[in-house]
Amino acid sequence: MTLFIGSSDLYAQDAAKGESLFKSNCASCHALNKKLVGPALSGVTERREEEWLLKWVKNSSALIKSGDPEAIAIFEEYNKSAMTAFTHFSDEDVKDILTYIENPPEPTTGGNGGNVVAGPEKGGSNTSMIIIVALIILSAVLFASLKAKNALKKAMDEPTDSMFKQTKDWLLARPGLVVVIVVLLFIGGVQDTWEQVFDKVGMSQGYQPTQPIAFSHKIHAGEQKIDCNYCHSGARHSKTSGIPSANVCMNCHTYINEGPTTGTKEISKIYEAVGYDPETRAYKENYEPKPIEWVKIHNLPDLVYFNHAQHVTAGKQECKTCHGPIEEMDVVEQFAPLTMGWCIECHRNTEVNTDNPYYENLNERWAEKFHGEKITVDKIGGLECGKCHY
Amino acid sequence: MANEKIYYSSIQELENNPVIQELTEKEFANEAPEENSVEESSTSRRDFLKFLGFSTAAATIASCETPIHKAIPYVNKPEEVVAGIANWYASSYYDGHDYASVLVKTREGRPISLKANKDASYGQGLSPRVMGSVLELYDSSRLQHPTKGGKDTDWKTVDAEISSKLKSIGGSNKIIVLLTSTIISPSVKAIIEKYKTTYSNFSHVSYDAVSYSAMLDANMDMFGKRVLPTYKFQDAEVIVSFGADFLQDWTENSQGKDYAMGRNPESGKMSKHYQFESNLSLTGSNADYRFPIKPSQQGLLLVNLYNLLAQKAGKATLSSTPSKLDAKLKAVAKELWAAKGKSLVVAGGNDKNIHLIVNAINELLSNYGSTIDLDNASYLRQGNDASVNALVADMKAGKVGALLMENTNPVYTLGNGAEFASLLSKVSLTVSFALRADETAALCNYVLPNNHYLETWGDVQPTTNYVGLIQPTISPLFNTRQFSVSLLALLGEQVDAYEYLNSFWKENLLNGRSWNQTLHNGFVTVTSEVVESTETESTEDSEETMNSTVDLNTVANQLKSMSKAGSGFELTLYTKSGIGNGSHANNPWLQELPDPVSKATWDNYLTVNLSDAKELGLENYMVSNGGINGALVTLTVNGVTMKDVPVMVQPGQAIGTLGLAVGYGRTASGDCGDGKGVNAYPLYKNFSLTSKGASIEKTEDATDGYEFALTQVASTAMDRSEVIKETTLEAFIADPKAGTDKIFLETHKGKKHVEKVSLWQEFERDVHFWNLSIDLTKCTGCAACVVACHAENNVPVVGKEEVRVGRDMHWLRIDRYYSSDTTKENTPTDGLGDVIDLYLNMEKPSEKPEVVFQPVMCQHCNHAPCENVCPVAATSHSKEGLNHMAYNRCIGTRYCANNCPYKVRRFNWFQYSGNEKFPYNMNDELGRMVLNPDVVVRSRGVMEKCSMCIHMIQKTKLEAKKAGRQVADEDAQTACSLACDTGAMVFGDVMNSSHEVAELKDSPRAYHMLEQLNTQPSVVYHTKVRNK
Repeated sequence: MTLFIGSSDLYAQDAAKGESLFKSNCASCHALNKKLVGPALSGVTERREEEWLLKWVKNSSALIKSGDPEAIAIFEEYNKSAMTAFTHFSDEDVKDILTYIENPPEPTTGGNGGNVVAGPEKGGSNTSMIIIVALIILSAVLFASLKAKNALKKAMDEPTDSMFKQTKDWLLARPGLVVVIVVLLFIGGVQDTWEQVFDKVGMSQGYQPTQPIAFSHKIHAGEQKIDCNYCHSGARHSKTSGIPSANVCMNCHTYINEGPTTGTKEISKIYEAVGYDPETRAYKENYEPKPIEWVKIHNLPDLVYFNHAQHVTAGKQECKTCHGPIEEMDVVEQFAPLTMGWCIECHRNTEVNTDNPYYENLNERWAEKFHGEKITVDKIGGLECGKCHY
Repeated sequence: MANEKIYYSSIQELENNPVIQELTEKEFANEAPEENSVEESSTSRRDFLKFLGFSTAAATIASCETPIHKAIPYVNKPEEVVAGIANWYASSYYDGHDYASVLVKTREGRPISLKANKDASYGQGLSPRVMGSVLELYDSSRLQHPTKGGKDTDWKTVDAEISSKLKSIGGSNKIIVLLTSTIISPSVKAIIEKYKTTYSNFSHVSYDAVSYSAMLDANMDMFGKRVLPTYKFQDAEVIVSFGADFLQDWTENSQGKDYAMGRNPESGKMSKHYQFESNLSLTGSNADYRFPIKPSQQGLLLVNLYNLLAQKAGKATLSSTPSKLDAKLKAVAKELWAAKGKSLVVAGGNDKNIHLIVNAINELLSNYGSTIDLDNASYLRQGNDASVNALVADMKAGKVGALLMENTNPVYTLGNGAEFASLLSKVSLTVSFALRADETAALCNYVLPNNHYLETWGDVQPTTNYVGLIQPTISPLFNTRQFSVSLLALLGEQVDAYEYLNSFWKENLLNGRSWNQTLHNGFVTVTSEVVESTETESTEDSEETMNSTVDLNTVANQLKSMSKAGSGFELTLYTKSGIGNGSHANNPWLQELPDPVSKATWDNYLTVNLSDAKELGLENYMVSNGGINGALVTLTVNGVTMKDVPVMVQPGQAIGTLGLAVGYGRTASGDCGDGKGVNAYPLYKNFSLTSKGASIEKTEDATDGYEFALTQVASTAMDRSEVIKETTLEAFIADPKAGTDKIFLETHKGKKHVEKVSLWQEFERDVHFWNLSIDLTKCTGCAACVVACHAENNVPVVGKEEVRVGRDMHWLRIDRYYSSDTTKENTPTDGLGDVIDLYLNMEKPSEKPEVVFQPVMCQHCNHAPCENVCPVAATSHSKEGLNHMAYNRCIGTRYCANNCPYKVRRFNWFQYSGNEKFPYNMNDELGRMVLNPDVVVRSRGVMEKCSMCIHMIQKTKLEAKKAGRQVADEDAQTACSLACDTGAMVFGDVMNSSHEVAELKDSPRAYHMLEQLNTQPSVVYHTKVRNK
């Protein structure tokens, strides 16, 4: 059944599959419309025979050795550096790639990602919003009715008082309403102050600073699906996940020197840091490196010890649990409140990974003690002060 | 009519005494003192409220803005560095005196602490000085550039100028001298050999600040080798030491470890240790039998001991006179003879005759080849007094054209340092390779600052069969250059330190071994000295057999005449475990390290016997702030007068003797070390540590006396066996529980051990239960753990004034208790007056005390008195048996410290970091680099205490979880247990029944301190067993 479904488009060349193959195998040396290490590939199917291309892609050196004049010409043109042999590619794979090259996707013109700093505006609390709206409506009604009344009075040639005095008289005549307004304002004020003082001070949830390089996690983690650990390699081993050093960026950006949204502007900042010249594809000699000063988003106070490896490797937590949908963020913001209450909440609800041989001797004892209840972190001492504060 | 009844609290109240009247109306007898009364102040109450309101509002507004933190990654991250994970590098430590094979812990490229390299076959003992050496790297008072005439210059200039001057002096009739401390680096020795071939008028003089020259010369005379042997204290059944302080500071650092290995009551293998000495040293404190003697008697006693043994061996005796201790000596000789071949006689001091006789005694006892190894010699001491004297004479005669000095400070350390200073100006070229502009370097034409050893590529050969590597763990912090490179540069060879060492090793030492693997291990084993220095003077002596050159009778006669009683006191100079010879005086950790015996910090002082002190009217007394004051005296020794020397009344000091530590009274060591204590080196005449005919005179005008800063003011444990338990080996063998009495309570269920009777519920134990076991028999009190704790836990240095008033911050202290002549057992009491007298007398230490050392840190009570009284639950208990302390929760009531029966909690009276009032390492950008990033720096107003290195425990657990395995036995360590080379401290999980600590906890010797309080500590002590 699966085979049948799968085979339905077996013979149709698949541009999507070709795209993924292209990106993972070819893109480090080739672009469609630009000469990189190798030639620009757009229109290659028109320039060369498909059969020749199949041979070339799978093993170019063999083709050169066989004395093919076209192959030798390319070899000479590109400084006698042979293209990597892709012997594991099937003919279908190469054809898929060629299909992709023939039918490249429409370049996205939308400016998603150009908008670097705008973070979501946080409104005030709901209660005070309702109170403020109610008051505005109330005063609008009052103002309108006073205006109407004055107009009528004017028409009748009656003397009119100032607007202020009229309002005052009107309010004085209705002490109940004044009390209601004062009470509403008071409640709103207290609640707002409470929230500001006890929930916001020292908290930076939603903190979204402008970074020296407009690096987009959406592009790297979301679209390109680069594993978090590739750049933040410390997370599995160490207390800090680590911000990748510029040489990690250069693993890919040696070749990729133009981005989809900002072009070369942002990527060239990496080159500036490491002293790389994308034109000559060489590192400048005796270059004084210029470290990139990223703005730290997640700041825990000194008094608390947090260890990434404990959570990622031992606790098997996903990065998302604390960092949120990073793969959708062009500009990263602090997702979690990072308060002690938030930590404890999670420790109360998260089960311990008791499969770890570390706990081997305990499973029996715990089975007896907890009678099959969930063994959460707090039950084995995960709420003790000294586990995080020392 | 009950309301007519009036109660009086006293007769005075009934009599309407006005004072009582006033007192009853006030809550407190005395009002809190106020500096300015409200009336005098120009600030009204309203103003005050305005200020308060404004500052609160301002602070609130200011704090709303979150500061921006930058995170700056490497541009090119070195592969081996992972932020947050420590790297360890094998290296070696040698400062001309202390040697240790170490592993250096680095975090993000900063070395932050040391531990012993357990794989190395030599050099495991890390003394407090070695432990503290990492802090000296971050000393901003080190020289930061080469200097010429005190002004900064550059390397090119100094290299060119000095080498051209050397060339011209090389061709003249003046000599070039390289004066260094002992050099054990084969690669540096090879360079020195190069100098010898380049300049025919070049000579190298080795000079140890505290000299072992006599011992070397004695070995030269007897065995034809000017080396020190290595000793096997672990194999000796009887150890007799005449003034050798081998546990603290003698020929090798690892002797404490070896000594403890030979003292194991459980296995029945326990050495018997006799000590004859005048100052109460650390070694004497650990001895089973200690005899206070005058230093002049040392020789006579040795001759008499030789005679006693010679009689047994059927050999000729030497001429001698009887001494007071002959009866004791007889017993000692009997023991020694019984342990022939498995005994050890050692002596301190710098008198060749004494060492000749000691060698002869060991020869009689056939100890050479068994407990004394001359084949595997120790090269750690090579100084030659005769050459130094010759150098001074040459300087005087104007023969010296150039003097190069490395790791030596003769202006400060020579007995005639002032003379040496004036002679320096007669030498046309003086160059120093010092780390700092010390007393000598400041007078030199050029200073070519050396690298700290943690910035250096180098090698060491401390003993015949071991060559270690020194590898840098950080790039040089300043514009400094290591000694070997500087030496080569002055020969006109510009080399890279690494390249030079690498090629030297490839040529001489690797023998096909992998360089990287060798560097990783830190050492190779060899069979002979790699580079033997060629003697420039023809002092070679080919005589191999003893007695042919040594006439013991002459030696005995000289020693006999030396022992004739003279007038006045006899003075013995000594070194302290923290400061040593004074080269580390600028290290605040070491300055604040309490002397193991006297418990004094930041000072040296004259130690005087109790009865001598009484006679001279000298005393130590407590003043109202809890500090101890002492008298000041003027000390005169052989024409040298020192004014205002403080006096410490020292139990155990031999009658008629004085002790004074060298290494203090520096004037150019840096801010921290300068002006601390008095400089005793001017008394170090002719390299003799002892001198006769000293007189002291009390300084009468010193009204308040001298202010000491002691970390412990109580002298005795006052017969409280709940604190200190001890027994003898004999009693222990008869009953392993001897001396470890448990306290039982009568209950309705019969007699029960006090820890079984409890109001509290037991804690549930599942994953781990961490315990620390401390064996008082093995603990020598060396205090390496104290410095290790400082380094690991960012313990602040508070300075002398604060220590004095009991505000020291040591998380781990070592209590020292003297025995008292009065005990409850030996003093019958009849009536209240007797009881009061009994307790008063029990406070007084004996004149010849026995000493116990007891490391005390937070006991991590499982029924903790501190936890109950904390109003904010800042201190709480963990399932793993630890007492947690959440600093940020603490509001500083200090109730916990008040309720702690062990007095181990420390309060931050001040902000110690970034506060210029505390000008130590934490108030210095560079000094803070040594801080351990895994432990928070505490701020003012919070309580802190030993956490049982919880960060290390957490790390151990995490490593196991990451690897998916159980915690391995040896993984869990604390800083103190890692630093403890004697094996007295063992840390681990008692839930793991295979771990040593689980076994130790159930040992018959195990006890909890203050057991009757039923605090159920996680720290277990083991009864001290003396071999008596």
